[in-house]
Amino acid sequence: MAGLELLSDQGYRLDGRKATELRKVQARMGVFAQADGSAYLEQGNTKALAVVYGPHEMRGSRSRALHDRAVINCQYSMATFSTAERKRRPHGDRKSTEMSLHLKQTFEAAVMTQLFPRSQIDIYVKILQSDGGNYSVCVNAATLAVIDAGIPMRDYVCACTVGFVDETPLADLCYAEESGGVSSLALALLPRGGQIALVQMDARLHQDHLETLIEAAMTACKSVSKVLDEVVRQHLQEASVLSRE
Amino acid sequence: MIKTEKVLHLKSSRGRKVRVVREHYLRERVPCFSALCQAGCENDGKVLPGDLTHYVVPDAEVVLNYLEVLELVELQGVVFTQTACQALHSKGRRFYNRLRNLLKDPRHDCVLFANEFQEFSYCPREKGESQEKWQTRCVYAAAVWYYNHLAGMMNLVMITEDLDAVSRFSSLNSGVYVIGVQEYLQSFWPALQTAQDLYGSVRQALQEKEADGSQREFPEHLPAQVLEAGIKSGRFVQGTLNVSKHRAQNEAFVTSDGLSSKSPDLSAGVLVAGSKSRNRAVHGDLVAVELLPKAEWRGKVTALSEGPADERSGDDNETKPMPTGRVVGILQRNWRDYVVTFPPRDAAQAQSRAAQRVLAVPWDRRIPKVRISTHQADALQDHRLVVRIDSWPSTSLYPNGHSVRVLGRAGELETEVQTVLMENCIHVPPFSEAQLREMPVNSPEKPWAADPAEVAARRDLRQTHLVFSIDPQGCEDVDDTLSVRRLAGGKLLELGVHIADVTHFVREGSLTDLEARSRATTYYLADRRYDMLPAVLSADLCSLLGGVDRYAMSVMWELDAQSLAVTKVWFGRTLIRSSYQLHYELAQALLNGEEAQVPELARLDPEERDAKLSELIQALETLTHIARHLRAQRDRGGALELEGVEVRAQLDQDKNITALVPRQPLEVHETVAECMIYANHCVASKIQEAFPYQALLRRHPPPRQELFSQLVDTARAAGFSIDTRTNKALADSLDRAVDPEDPLVNRLLRMMATQAMSQALYFSTGAQPEDQFYHYGLALDRYTHFTSPIRRYADMVVHRLLTAALQLERGAEPGKPPAGNKDMEELAEHINSRNWAAQRAQNLSTGLFQCLFFKERDPETDPRCVADAIIYSIRDNGVLVFIPEYGVKGPVYMRNKEGLVVAVGPDGTCEWQSGSVRRHSDHITTMSGRGSATFRLFDHITVRISVLSTNCHADTLTLQVISNQPHLGAAPQRPGSPRRSQLVQEVVRLAGEAQEKAARRPELSKEEREFRQSRTPNLYSLLEEIRELALMDPDAAARAGTVMA
Repeated sequence: MAGLELLSDQGYRLDGRKATELRKVQARMGVFAQADGSAYLEQGNTKALAVVYGPHEMRGSRSRALHDRAVINCQYSMATFSTAERKRRPHGDRKSTEMSLHLKQTFEAAVMTQLFPRSQIDIYVKILQSDGGNYSVCVNAATLAVIDAGIPMRDYVCACTVGFVDETPLADLCYAEESGGVSSLALALLPRGGQIALVQMDARLHQDHLETLIEAAMTACKSVSKVLDEVVRQHLQEASVLSRE
Repeated sequence: MIKTEKVLHLKSSRGRKVRVVREHYLRERVPCFSALCQAGCENDGKVLPGDLTHYVVPDAEVVLNYLEVLELVELQGVVFTQTACQALHSKGRRFYNRLRNLLKDPRHDCVLFANEFQEFSYCPREKGESQEKWQTRCVYAAAVWYYNHLAGMMNLVMITEDLDAVSRFSSLNSGVYVIGVQEYLQSFWPALQTAQDLYGSVRQALQEKEADGSQREFPEHLPAQVLEAGIKSGRFVQGTLNVSKHRAQNEAFVTSDGLSSKSPDLSAGVLVAGSKSRNRAVHGDLVAVELLPKAEWRGKVTALSEGPADERSGDDNETKPMPTGRVVGILQRNWRDYVVTFPPRDAAQAQSRAAQRVLAVPWDRRIPKVRISTHQADALQDHRLVVRIDSWPSTSLYPNGHSVRVLGRAGELETEVQTVLMENCIHVPPFSEAQLREMPVNSPEKPWAADPAEVAARRDLRQTHLVFSIDPQGCEDVDDTLSVRRLAGGKLLELGVHIADVTHFVREGSLTDLEARSRATTYYLADRRYDMLPAVLSADLCSLLGGVDRYAMSVMWELDAQSLAVTKVWFGRTLIRSSYQLHYELAQALLNGEEAQVPELARLDPEERDAKLSELIQALETLTHIARHLRAQRDRGGALELEGVEVRAQLDQDKNITALVPRQPLEVHETVAECMIYANHCVASKIQEAFPYQALLRRHPPPRQELFSQLVDTARAAGFSIDTRTNKALADSLDRAVDPEDPLVNRLLRMMATQAMSQALYFSTGAQPEDQFYHYGLALDRYTHFTSPIRRYADMVVHRLLTAALQLERGAEPGKPPAGNKDMEELAEHINSRNWAAQRAQNLSTGLFQCLFFKERDPETDPRCVADAIIYSIRDNGVLVFIPEYGVKGPVYMRNKEGLVVAVGPDGTCEWQSGSVRRHSDHITTMSGRGSATFRLFDHITVRISVLSTNCHADTLTLQVISNQPHLGAAPQRPGSPRRSQLVQEVVRLAGEAQEKAARRPELSKEEREFRQSRTPNLYSLLEEIRELALMDPDAAARAGTVMA
C-alpha cells in the first residue's frame, strides 16, 4: 500500500480536520476526592488522568529540599492497555523517564514555587489511551489538576504538538500522523504573556520553517487555553453552587 | 464538527492483525464545487458549470478500472468521491497521482467531493458488510446528497458495474439515476465513439485477466515487504531495468545511482540475461534483482548486432564476466503508452468473428510483444496503434494490453510521424478554443496597440536606443534583440539585450500557460514544428519584429569603454521598437565592409541612408568588440567548443554550411550567442541571489572520466593526445587535434567528446549544493535560460522569477510568491524530460526522413546512394562510420551473416569472399583468397546506402562497403546541408503526391461518381461472380458426367 496522504489537495487531514483544527477537547476537574487536585482530559482519542499532591513536606531524603522554593516531582506512566498492542511496562522505561523530566521542567516554569520553600509538589499523570500528542495532553491535564489543587501558577500552561507537511503546519497531530513521518514539534506556552515553557523537537526541520511552525503551535496553544479556561470556570460554578447549598 | 470513531483492522508491519481506532470528524459544510450551489459553499478553484444536463458520479470500482475512460476531456461534470479516491489510493500511488493531476487540470471538467467528511453523506460501514458494497453505498449517498444540495436543479447519474446496486438503488430517488457504464456511455454520449471503444477494450482486458489460469510461465514475484527487507539487508539490488537495444531478447541491465556506493563491482550495473530471469520486467521498470553465484556470471556481447558469431561461439566475443542476476520483484512499473503494429494475418485465422487475441509487435524493440484481444483484428492489419499494458500474470508469456487509439497504416508518413511523437510521450493537440480566447487580438481591423498604463510603467527605449535583431534568414519568432550605445561622452558603453516579454501576455495559471508548461518546449521535427505558444504570440505579438512597438524584458550593462569592465547592471521591463531585422549573413557582410542591401534603408535618400548605415555598422562593430572580450574571458575559464548533435540539428536552418568542412560559423553567430550567454549568466546570478532556494538554473555536470576512453584511444590512433582532466585542458587539446589534410578528423573528435559529455539540465537551487551549479561546457558558475521564452518554458519561469526579484527589490510584495523548492524541482524535472523527448523525437524524425528518402531509390543504380564515409570506431566484426554528406552514422560489417568477409581487389573494389577477420586496437584486417585488406581509423571508404525495411519497427539504413578508396564523387564542392533540407522536401512532396493521387482517382470514372459505387470488390460484383459460377457448374457437372459415363 502506498504511504498515507497526510494532507489532501483540498486541505483535509486523515480524520477530516483542516490543518489548523484541533481535536475535540473534553475535560473534568476534581475527579478524585482523596488527592489534593485531580483532572481528567480527553483530546480526541488520547485520554489522560492527572493527580496532584502538595505542597507538602519533603518525603524521602530531605537533602533534596531547596531552601528558596518547592521541589516539583513528576511521574508519567502509560496504562498497559493504552496502545493498540498491550504494553509490557507501564512506567520506568526511558521514554517515560524523559517525559517525566519534560513535565517537571514545564511545571517548574509555571508554578510559583518560590511561595513554598522547602516543600514538595507531586504531579502524577497517567495516559489511559494513547492516540498521539501524549506530552501535550499530559501538560493540559496536569494544569487543570494543579489549578484544582489550588496551587498558584503564573498562568495556565497549555501544550500542543504541530507537524509540518507540504509546507503547511498541522496542529494537534494524531497517532497516524505522528507515525507517518512528519517532523513534529511540541510546545508548552503560558498564553497570556506568550512565554514559552518548553519546546521539544526530535525530527529534522529546515531552519527557515521553524518560525512558522512555532507560530502555528502558539496559536494552537492559545485555543487550548480557551477551552481549559472554560472548563475551570464551569467547575468553579458547579463548586460554588455546591458549597452554597 | 461532530466526532465519530471508526474501527479499522490493519496489518502491522510484522504481519499481525491490529485493531485500530481512528477518529473521524464530520462537518456540515463541505464545498460542493458546483456553479449551481445555493448554500454558499466556499468553492475556490475549479467549479463544475451549471449548464450541463447531468453530473456523473462514478462508483469506486468504475474509477479503479475505467479511469482512462473518465480521463477523456469530452466527459463533463464528473464528480469524484473521496471514497473512490481512497480506493484508488490503495491500488497504488501512480494511479492516485493520475487522478490528482486530472483534478488539478483546468481543462477537465471534474471535481472531488469529500463525501466521507460530510455529515449527511457519510455512512459508517456496517458489521459484515463487504468493502465493495460499503463503497457503493457511500458513493450513492454522496450522489443523493449532491442532488439535494443543489436543490434538485441538476440530475445526478451514478455509474457502476455492480448490477445489484443498479437494481437496489435506481428506484429510490427520482433525480438520482443508477446505471451501468456501458449504458451510460451509449445513452448520454452516443457520439463519443472513442469512449465506447476504450471502454470496450478495457473491459475485454479485464475479462481476459479473470479467465486466465493455466500453467505458470514465470516464477512469482516476491511480496513487497520481503523485497524491501531484502534491499535493506543487501541481498537484493534495486535499480531501473534497461533493456539492450540490439539484443532486446536476451540482454538487459539494471543500473542505479545508489549501486556504486555499496559495492564497487556493481557500478557498471547488473546483467540480466534471458527472458526467464528478466521475469516479466519491462524496460524502464524499477526492479529488485538477486545476484547469481559468481560461477554463473556472464559478460556482455561486444560484436555488432546480427553478427554471425552471436550464437555459435558466444564466449569468445564476450567481455569479462560481470555481475549477473535475476529479477525477483518489481517495485514500480513504469509503463507508458506504446505504439504497436498489428501483424498481417494468415487467411486461416481470418474467418472467426469472435474476439481474437492478437500479439502485436511494439515499435520499440525493447518492449515485449503485447497481447490484445479485439474484434477488429482484420480491419487493423498492418496498422499502427497505441496500446496500454494492463497486466502480466505469471501464467502468460506476454503481457496483456488494450488498444487506445489507431494511428494509421504502417509506412505512411503521417503515421510514422505520429509514432515518433507517441513513443516520446509528446502530446501536441491543436490549441483549444478556450486557450485561443485568452489571446490578445491583432488583426488588420483591430490592430494591437501598447496599453498606455503599460507604457508608463515601462522604460521607453523607442527614441533613445538603436535596437536591432540578428537571426537566421526567414525567422518568424524573434525573441532576442540587441542594442549598444556610448554614454558619458564615450567613456562608457551601454550594452542591452532585450528579450520578448512573453510572460506579460501569458499569465501564470492561465490555460495557455498550462498548455505551454505541459509542452515545455517547441518541438522541431524534420518537416514540421509544434509551437509551444499559439501563433498569434509566437509569430506576432511576442516576436520582436522590426518597426513595431513591442514589450520586452531587458538586461543592460554599463561597461567601461577602455577596459570593458562592467560597472552597472540594470534589469527591467521595457518598451522597444526594433529598427533593423538583420540576418546573420547580412550582418557579417556589413561588418566585413562589403556592399549589402539593408531592406529597412532601401527607400531612404542616399545621404540619410549612409548616415544610418554607418551608425548601424558602428554599433555592430562595438558589439563584436565586446563579445570578443566576453568570449576571451570565458575561454580563460575553459569553455568548450563542441561539435555534435546540436549542430546537426541546426543544419536545416543554416543554409551556408557545407557538409565536408567543419562548421565555420560566422563571427556574428558567436557575437550574438556570446551576448545571450552573458545575459543568461547575469540573470542566473540575479535570481539565485533573490531566491536562494527556488531559482530555476541550468547546470552541466562534469563528465565521467571513463567515458572519455574511446575518445582518447581514437585520438591516439590519429596521432593526437587529448587531455580530459579539466574542461580547459580538453578544450585546448581538442583545438590542437587538427589534421591539416582532413578537417573531418577534428569534427569527429569533437563529436565523440560531445557524446562523452553528460547532459545539461535544469534544476532548482534548493535541491543541489552550491558547488554543483557549475556549467562545465560554458565554464560559468551560474547559468540559466532567459533569452528564448517563445520556444522554451524554462525561460518563461525565469522571466517570472526575475520579475518577482525586481518587485522584491523595490520593496513591493510580489503578487504571487514563486513556487517552492519542491514544486520548482518537479517542474525542472518535467522540462528536462520534455527536452530530451524533443531531442529524441527530432533525431528519430531525421532518421525517418533519411530512410524514406533512400527507400525511393534503387541502391544499385542511383548515384545518390553511394557516398563517402569515414571510419571512427573499430568493432569485432566491422567498423562504425560517419557519412558527412548525409550526417548518417552507422555500422559497416566486415563479416556478414554467412561468414563471408570483405575482400578488396587491386582497384579498391570490395566483394564478399570466405575468409577471416582480425581486430586490432586501431585497425581491422580481413584475410581472404584475394589477399588481406586493412581498414584503419579515419580511413575514407565508399559505402552504398540501402534501407532495411521492417514492418513493425522503424526502418534502418544499412551501409555496405563497396570500395576502400574515398568516394570520388563526394567532392567538397557538393553542398551537403541543402541536400538535407532537400531530402526532407522531397519526401514531403512524394507523400503529398501519393495523397493527391489517391484523392484524384475517384474523378476518373463517371459512373462511379454518379451511382456512388465503389469499383471492384463490391457486393454486386461478388454476387454476379457467384451467379456465373452457379451457371457454369451444371455445365461442368454435365460434362463430367459424360466423361464418367
